[in-house]
Amino acid sequence: MNAVSVETMTDDPERFEELVREHQAMVFSMACRYLRNRALAEEIAQDVFLQLYRKLPALESPEHVVHWLRWVTAHRLIDHSRQAKRRPQSPLEDVPEPAAADRLGSADPLLSDMLRDLVASLPENARVVMILRYQEDLDPMDIARALDMPIATVKSHLQRSLALLRDKLSRQKGVGK
Amino acid sequence: MNLDDELRAALRREDPSPGFAQRVVARAKSKPAPRSWFPKMMWATALAAMLVIGFGAMSEYRENQAERAGREAVLALRITAEKLNSARDKVIRREN
Repeated sequence: MNAVSVETMTDDPERFEELVREHQAMVFSMACRYLRNRALAEEIAQDVFLQLYRKLPALESPEHVVHWLRWVTAHRLIDHSRQAKRRPQSPLEDVPEPAAADRLGSADPLLSDMLRDLVASLPENARVVMILRYQEDLDPMDIARALDMPIATVKSHLQRSLALLRDKLSRQKGVGK
Repeated sequence: MNLDDELRAALRREDPSPGFAQRVVARAKSKPAPRSWFPKMMWATALAAMLVIGFGAMSEYRENQAERAGREAVLALRITAEKLNSARDKVIRREN
């Protein structure tokens, strides 16, 4: 896919559909992990792709498309949760701990679900950083570039979030014993 | 498994519900096809700039023409006045 094909994709709905299929898992999963709400995540993902449709003539390459999608999705999610702050939010420490056995030894569905809840309860920027790190497998430099954020801030978010998650998990491990 | 691996497993990508891409395309088609606004803006700006420059040049040319015509008219009046004065002086001298 070159610059011209990206630009002319708006004239060809089938090719645009291919582009959506190519990136839908990335955009939808970012939204879903961030919001923990599939319906809302689909709605936001659709809006992001519609925005992409309008923006396509200005995007120069497939890499530019990916970078743009990550950037727009991340900022839409942050904006969404800031607007929704009128609703009471539970901080990480208040997330209810499920009746836990020792789950640190294996990747079981319950532990995964609990980790998704914990990540979803992180502050907005930290949450996006964690999603880009562990869903998109980006290194801190790429995350900094994707979010237009200083690399030191990215590293700080990662360290603090991991420390919080470890603390929460070890407490649950203690409860399970 | 360590926490990094657990997080990667927990946060792995997943697809939206079936038909997601078709729904996006249907919504996109229901709106007018996008066109890059930049070239249009660029052409509009260039055209506006050309019109402004053309209009300015034409006004200045007309202004210069009017100024020159004014100067020439004043000169012509001055010459005429001088000739009339000279003729009047000759008539007066002859009468005396």
